[in-house]
Amino acid sequence: MATQAAFMHGSKVETETFWGIVWSWLTTVDHKRIGILYGTSAFIFFLIGGIEALIMRLQLARPDNTLVGAERFNELFTMHGTTMIFLAVMPLSAAFFNYMIPLLIGARDVAFPRLNALSYWIFLSGALFLNSSWLFGLAPDGGWFGYANLTTIQFSPKHTIDFWMLGLQILGLSSMLAGFNFLVTIINMRAPGMTLMRMPVFVWMSFVTQFLLVLAFPAITVALILLMFDRFFGTLFYAPAAGADPLLWQHLFWIFGHPEVYILILPAMGIVSEVLPTFSRKPLFGAPVVIYSGIMIGFFGFGVWSHHMFSVGMGPVADAAFSISTMLIAVPTGVKILNWIGTLWGGSIRFKTPLYFSLGFIAMFTMGGLSGIMHASPPVDLQQTDTYFVVAHFHYVLFGGSIFGLFSGIYYWWPKINGKLLDERLGLWHFWLMMLGFNMTFFPQHYLGLIGMPRRIYTYAPDLGWNFWNLVSTIGAFLIAVSLLFFIANVIRTMRSGPVAGNDPWDGRTLEWSIPSPPPVYNFARLPEVQDRDDFWLQKYGDGHGSAPRPRPAPVTAAEIAAIHMPPTSYWPLLLGLALAVMVSGLMISMYQVVVGGLLTLYLMYKFAMELHRPSTGHGH
Amino acid sequence: MADQHAVAAAATHGGGGGHATVKTYINVAIVLAIITAVEVASLYIPGIPGPVLVISLLAMSAVKFFLVVGFFMHLRYDHPIMRALFVGPLIIAIAIILAVMALFSAFVLLPRVVL
Amino acid sequence: MADHAAVHAIHDPNIGNTGLDNRKVGMWAFLGSDCMFFGSLIGTYLAYKGKSISGPLPHEVFDIPLTSYSAALLLASSLTMVLALAALQQNRLKPATGWLFATAMLGLHFVLNQVYEFTTFVLHHNLTLSTSLFGSSFFVLTGFHGAHVTGGVIWLLILVMLAMRGKLDARDYTKVEIAGLYWHFVDIVWIAIFTIIYLIP
Repeated sequence: MATQAAFMHGSKVETETFWGIVWSWLTTVDHKRIGILYGTSAFIFFLIGGIEALIMRLQLARPDNTLVGAERFNELFTMHGTTMIFLAVMPLSAAFFNYMIPLLIGARDVAFPRLNALSYWIFLSGALFLNSSWLFGLAPDGGWFGYANLTTIQFSPKHTIDFWMLGLQILGLSSMLAGFNFLVTIINMRAPGMTLMRMPVFVWMSFVTQFLLVLAFPAITVALILLMFDRFFGTLFYAPAAGADPLLWQHLFWIFGHPEVYILILPAMGIVSEVLPTFSRKPLFGAPVVIYSGIMIGFFGFGVWSHHMFSVGMGPVADAAFSISTMLIAVPTGVKILNWIGTLWGGSIRFKTPLYFSLGFIAMFTMGGLSGIMHASPPVDLQQTDTYFVVAHFHYVLFGGSIFGLFSGIYYWWPKINGKLLDERLGLWHFWLMMLGFNMTFFPQHYLGLIGMPRRIYTYAPDLGWNFWNLVSTIGAFLIAVSLLFFIANVIRTMRSGPVAGNDPWDGRTLEWSIPSPPPVYNFARLPEVQDRDDFWLQKYGDGHGSAPRPRPAPVTAAEIAAIHMPPTSYWPLLLGLALAVMVSGLMISMYQVVVGGLLTLYLMYKFAMELHRPSTGHGH
Repeated sequence: MADQHAVAAAATHGGGGGHATVKTYINVAIVLAIITAVEVASLYIPGIPGPVLVISLLAMSAVKFFLVVGFFMHLRYDHPIMRALFVGPLIIAIAIILAVMALFSAFVLLPRVVL
Repeated sequence: MADHAAVHAIHDPNIGNTGLDNRKVGMWAFLGSDCMFFGSLIGTYLAYKGKSISGPLPHEVFDIPLTSYSAALLLASSLTMVLALAALQQNRLKPATGWLFATAMLGLHFVLNQVYEFTTFVLHHNLTLSTSLFGSSFFVLTGFHGAHVTGGVIWLLILVMLAMRGKLDARDYTKVEIAGLYWHFVDIVWIAIFTIIYLIP
């Protein structure tokens, strides 16, 4: 068998040279490294999306401002939305899926490690492709939701929309491949004894999210394919002159778009469901109910999409049907909030940074949910839609919800990933400045919306009464930026000279705290035998009903470790990701490039599939 | 020796709870052919009312669909997880097709339903 | 059951805690997702059915005998596919390869029929992608199905090539099984399309 060093890093022994290290990252199939790649990329794009927002807020700080013009402003809000959703929040969630799911279910890696790497490289291709549009002066300008027929060739003749349309197709493929991977991983790679109901709630929320990914993205894929055919091949899907209905785009988009917002929030809800019990030293209150609520939200989330379309004239029956389904879906969400509060109630609370962000999540997400319930009523929504009231709503749920939840996860799992603790004081500066800045930015926008300020305008007249709160909102946005500087400073300082974390710095409940920080490449020297939810806590403290903690197992032997077989590195995922980008970008350049890129993609798919077929080491599969 | 190992490996991989035989496959294929013939022939039978024709065509297709899924794709004998992975999305897809048809006032069986 | 799965796990990294093969579970998940893809395309076709403002009508251009023959081809190919798998399970490689090749050829025949149909529509009926809503939605829906069939044919021919080079046998049952699942899915999508597009008036 291979030597210990060789199996640790795949078929090639990792060199200590700079390029050796770079190559080992480019060819990694280790879920932990892929998680770090996703997380780092996502944070960079979060900052880029944030800069896009700051420019918009600077422009809107004063009436009749001339910092950017209308066209540039369209590009900014399009790219800000697209970046934050597809290049920041989703890949940050993916970072946690990648790093944590195998650890939480007691596995050594995901079901398809090379496919996992492929998902990341396709993501990066798509992200760079989309943002390259800035360099060509062709940044997308049709909104992150790209409504037809504004986005057809007739009204958007330049390649701006093509960057958006093709970029999203690439990103969608990445998300779907990852979705299949984690679905199979969660179904089929759990440690012995870990039944579905014993899985941590973060894994359950991620499980539901993967279903949403693989079932919702096909709808936007079709919407984008129809747009692509209209723009490149002259079809008539979004051509009203030929009898087409522009609402087709809106329906297909929101059939994707509504499950998408649950994709954005469920992982953060899962993180909160891990953090609260740990820092309350109590199990999650009603864990099965939280799980069932998550499943219901996922399933019924496919039945509410037209609440984004109350103002288009669908008629009273459709309006009423979607209004009712939307109000119903608030119930399982509310149930979860009560369960989280029930977890804290009577707990022995330790106020650490992860807990602060989770508490912030509960408060901010609840506020966003309340404005959301208002939108569920069509007559009320007719006033609110396309105003800043909606902007306030979705930022409360997406920033106050998803981003706060994801930061809670970052602070919580940072010691496990990096082996170092983040500084608590800097963490609290980050939290409080972000809370203050976030609320300063978005709370006034409820009011601005209600007094009539529409969305997506690049400037406004000085006598409408909007001046003061727009200025406040802009100052708040810069406070958010300052808060992030505290986070970045925290990272830099503690990575250099921070305290070592150890296996279990938070006295945690779940399996990832039972292994070293950072974990060895094989995660668990010996796969755990799980007997209950929060099994690690029970191992440490017993079940609280009188039975003693479990006897310590015999120490792991070198022979056991030598018998572990980890998958080798592979460069096919990287090459395939590049080939895909070449093929897709060819649609804007030349059909020859599409054909060449397509043939290359097919060839690389073949090589990828054949890599493990009858390998020379002699394993039968 | 390698052959026996291969056959044994295939046998373990091959079945879920049970397994259809070649005879079953051929019978299913014959039934599928007959149903297809009836479907096509029904287009040429004069005097069938529209809704009746549509419902019977859909019913016949559904039977073919589930025969292929159950027997050829082996779902009838497989672990319930595979059934859930396919049937759940299928139900969601059909529900969305029906909802889209209703929202676009596409001809549904009951012409009275106009939104 | 857990022990049985654990024993498998030591020998076969593809078998998981349920005793199922990862690749088979993954393929079923993919097929569920593909239901949503074709569901969206079929929904689009039905939303626009009867709403074209010009151009030939469906019943003016459809060649029901040809498409019925194509439907029969795909159904037959599903039979040859399961026969290939049954032969492979018993390591009877020559029949397995033969049935796989037959499946691929039946699929190729289907695609060629479709190319003939598309050409006839364009050249004889003046129906193209840009003629009308019917032209757009028909060609995109059936075209993407045809592309799925083409991908399947290529996949099957690669398996045939591997078998002929002695690199495919009963040990690869699961790999051929998942190719079969994909192939049958392509068949059942055609069952739906054939009825909804061609047969229903």
